Amino acid sequence: MKLDRDRPDDEIPTSSMADIAFLLIVFFMVTTTFTATRGLDFALPEDDDDPPVVEKEESVLVEIMPNGELIVDQDPMQLQEIIPYLKPKLERNPKKPVIIRPDIATPYRYMVQVYDELRQWEDYGLEQPINISVPTQREIQSFWY
Amino acid sequence: MKLKATIEHKPNIPTASMADIAFLLIIFFMLTITFEVDKTQVTLPKTTLRYEIPKQSAYVSIDPDGRIRVSDGTEQSALVSAADEVLSMAAGVIAMDPTKVFVVKAHGDAEWLRVDEVIDALKRAKVRDVYLLSDQRTVDDL
Repeated sequence: MKLDRDRPDDEIPTSSMADIAFLLIVFFMVTTTFTATRGLDFALPEDDDDPPVVEKEESVLVEIMPNGELIVDQDPMQLQEIIPYLKPKLERNPKKPVIIRPDIATPYRYMVQVYDELRQWEDYGLEQPINISVPTQREIQSFWY
Repeated sequence: MKLKATIEHKPNIPTASMADIAFLLIIFFMLTITFEVDKTQVTLPKTTLRYEIPKQSAYVSIDPDGRIRVSDGTEQSALVSAADEVLSMAAGVIAMDPTKVFVVKAHGDAEWLRVDEVIDALKRAKVRDVYLLSDQRTVDDL
């Protein structure tokens, strides 16, 4: 005798899978923000209470005025002229410190421009990175005056 | 003449690969998503050189009005009233992880004095690796 049995359905219900998948896509699309995750590395030196004394005469001083004007060793200069000016000095003494000193009212972007330019030493045919120093106001007051 | 009966095709859109595409997109978003710890809106300075910043870095942001926000890289950034608070936060983070990277996310028009105070606080907290967050400089910016 043939029995008519109700066999349970052995399929996995996938009809709502696409709905769930698109819900997740919409969530990620709404929450994703494309942010800047790159920048210029700016290694800080050891905070030494007794740092080596650098004579002002031995270094090159790059002053940045609030309007973005650059004064290099007392002379006004354009951004692209700094490394050509430094090159003969650095060829004689590759460790010569270059001190960036922005005015306190100078917009931050001008300091970054100068720092970025000095980091591109290879493009100007220099063999070693430039010894850049950016003293803070506290350091200037403590060690320079 | 007897005409051949035309076979009627039911119109249908093939959706068999839709789920594959959907899951491919989900995997893409899951791998690329990063939850921002600092949502301060700033116009970053532009630089030619830019290096990838390690994930989970601590953030110090400075808006054009000089307001400072800090984040240890795991929690959302919080407003601080003075640069001295940056020092105490950074010292705490460095005590836990001496190799922690800090990111300075400052508006291009922020006064140097404010950025100087933050950098000085990071120096005093014995932070070694700092990144200055920037946008790409292009030939149009020259």
